[in-house]
Amino acid sequence: MAIETMTVEAAQAMASGYTAIGAGLAVGLAGVGTGLGEMGIGAAAVGATAEDRDMFGLALLFTVLPETIVIFGLVISLLLLFQ
Amino acid sequence: MFQPKPMTHLLIAAPKEQMASVVTELYRHRVFHITDFVDQGKEGYEGVRLGTPLEGAGELSTSLLKIRSIENVFQTSPETLFDVPKRPVATIRQAIERELPAIEAEVNDLTVQRSAAESRIRECEQRINELKPFALVPLEMDLYRGYDSITAIAGYLDKDVDISVPHEKYYAARKDGNFIVVFVETKDAAEIERTLSDAGFQSVTIPNETGSVQAAVDKYTADQSQAKVVFDTANAKISELKAKYADLLAACDEVLSGDVERAEAPLRFATTEEAFVVDGWVPADHIEPITAGLNQATGGCVYVTVDDDEIDATAIPVEYNNPSFAKPAELFMDVYAHPRYNEIDPTLILAIMFPIFFGLIVGDVGYGIIFLILALFARKLAMFKGEGGKNLIKILVGSSISTIFFGLLYSEFLGYALPWHAIIFQRHLAIGADAAAHATGPDAMPMLIMSVWFGIAYITLGRIFGMINHYRMDHPGKHRSKAILGQLGWIAILWGLLILVWSFFSMEQMFGIVGMMPDFTTAPLIAPGLSVAALGGLILLVLGCIFLAQENVLDLMEIPTIISHVLSFCRIAAVGLSSVAIAMVVNYLSFGMFIDPALANLDAVGVIMIIVGVLIFVCGHALNVGLGILGGGLHSIRLHYVEFFTKFYVGGGIKYNPFGLKRKFSEE
Repeated sequence: MAIETMTVEAAQAMASGYTAIGAGLAVGLAGVGTGLGEMGIGAAAVGATAEDRDMFGLALLFTVLPETIVIFGLVISLLLLFQ
Repeated sequence: MFQPKPMTHLLIAAPKEQMASVVTELYRHRVFHITDFVDQGKEGYEGVRLGTPLEGAGELSTSLLKIRSIENVFQTSPETLFDVPKRPVATIRQAIERELPAIEAEVNDLTVQRSAAESRIRECEQRINELKPFALVPLEMDLYRGYDSITAIAGYLDKDVDISVPHEKYYAARKDGNFIVVFVETKDAAEIERTLSDAGFQSVTIPNETGSVQAAVDKYTADQSQAKVVFDTANAKISELKAKYADLLAACDEVLSGDVERAEAPLRFATTEEAFVVDGWVPADHIEPITAGLNQATGGCVYVTVDDDEIDATAIPVEYNNPSFAKPAELFMDVYAHPRYNEIDPTLILAIMFPIFFGLIVGDVGYGIIFLILALFARKLAMFKGEGGKNLIKILVGSSISTIFFGLLYSEFLGYALPWHAIIFQRHLAIGADAAAHATGPDAMPMLIMSVWFGIAYITLGRIFGMINHYRMDHPGKHRSKAILGQLGWIAILWGLLILVWSFFSMEQMFGIVGMMPDFTTAPLIAPGLSVAALGGLILLVLGCIFLAQENVLDLMEIPTIISHVLSFCRIAAVGLSSVAIAMVVNYLSFGMFIDPALANLDAVGVIMIIVGVLIFVCGHALNVGLGILGGGLHSIRLHYVEFFTKFYVGGGIKYNPFGLKRKFSEE
């Protein structure tokens, strides 16, 4: 049985592997969330900018608002990897 | 600092005959912001109406219109011209009188020629298109007309048809529509058309030409190319004129615009039969010179009053009042909103903190130098035009210097370590050949804690500013006290939560970090599980909630935003670390996997590997430079806009726009 014969080193390696997967999921899934959020805002922002060039600054700002979500994901993965 | 320039409300009254001198004097000073008079028939304003333009306004407008139409032909505009040497106004006026009519005549002539040629080209093209299908029929064009009892019918149809009456038919099957020409007796024409229309017939007019089709096509083609030559010559001449006169026209435009603005200024005044009143604002330190100037210009026939009555602050024009180093940051303020007169203007904080955040995020000597070179290049090539562009470059220069500074502290050069150990935070990851040197990994936790401190400071400061703004901007009374108390409530909740966290969690025990955050876990207990510190935090938290609820109960739902806004500052650490990670991965990919192995054993394949490695290095770092500017800039500015400004900043003030001309092409 694989589990019964597992050494301490192997268990640690496995644990750090799972941590890495967790960190990856944290960033990846949060990134998907951000993408979904920015999708609608981005489309509307491009429309607004096409109507009025002065909107560009504000439109860019609105577009990056959901970026916070992926930053949280990044922070979680940093905590997982480097604490 | 933190305040716009103090403004004074000035009312200028004078008899109507002094209007021109008052306007000229105000125009010369270029400090008076005119508040437009609106004729609403308000009480006390009976018989007061809008003024009429000064004499000559009509002619000036006509001249200006002419210049604008020439500019339109040239496709130039004063807004798109930069760095043009200034001309004396006298020379420009002379040019308007002497040179302009000639230029106008010449340009008009050329535009007429050009449009005639253009329409000729189009006409020929149409004729050629009309003739094309007839080339399929072996008949000369004269044969289609001139009969008494025979009619020619021509057009496209879907498929060939049988015609029952006597006729002569030419049919050509083509991919883009089958072409048919039928000659029938005129009396049968109606019937034939019916038969044809059943087969999807679309008739075409028979061109009124003579001779062979090819000859006619050739004639029009020759005509067309001739017209093209005329068109191109006219265009070339117009371009020549444009190169010669665009600057002069811009200068004339400026001078005339100024004249028109001056002549039409009375449209913004309140006038009666004999007198007029100008209502407006001047920076407080300009009252003396402007009053003296007006008195002198009118020979004392003017009455200037400083109005001390309290006026709605939203009606007061706002001019920034910042030290010169903070001026470029006003660009970012205006992107968000122009401040109001009586609120705190946070430009100074933005001007200082934006480059610091940028540097903290990117923090790499190599990238800092690249940003600096890019900024200097952009300035040299004048890539960003106008005032805004120049300010943007100044901000980029400041940010690159800050990036270099923090790069030295972090000991980073394009992801590599500099010869010394990081002075504040170690950000290198255990990647690549030097992995062993950075085996401990980056100081992620201390950086995150530092970021959180920035968040706490910013949000507390934002709420304090919010209290000050409410105190200044709201009407004294119950509502104002509630609003101020509400802001205090936010601060109390934030700090209550912090103290609670500190009394239950020790940074030292959890992460082994000492000194970056207070540790209240060892505070004396007053009940099982409840220390003095925790009690204090709890009291603050409850108090804060009460303060918040008394202003608006629904605000309690917003409490989680405290946590999310503070944590949002973690991006300073997180975005920075990801930028280092990209740089180190690029270095590992290029040097670690391609260049170093190839150099160790150099052969033909090795050379290709080196080229690939160099390509990866250049592209990877170029990508990271782009991401650095975007990430560093956007995240820094967003932290201010979203997490800081939303706490106190209202904006929406009127821009101070003094009456007078900002000269760009002319000088007195």
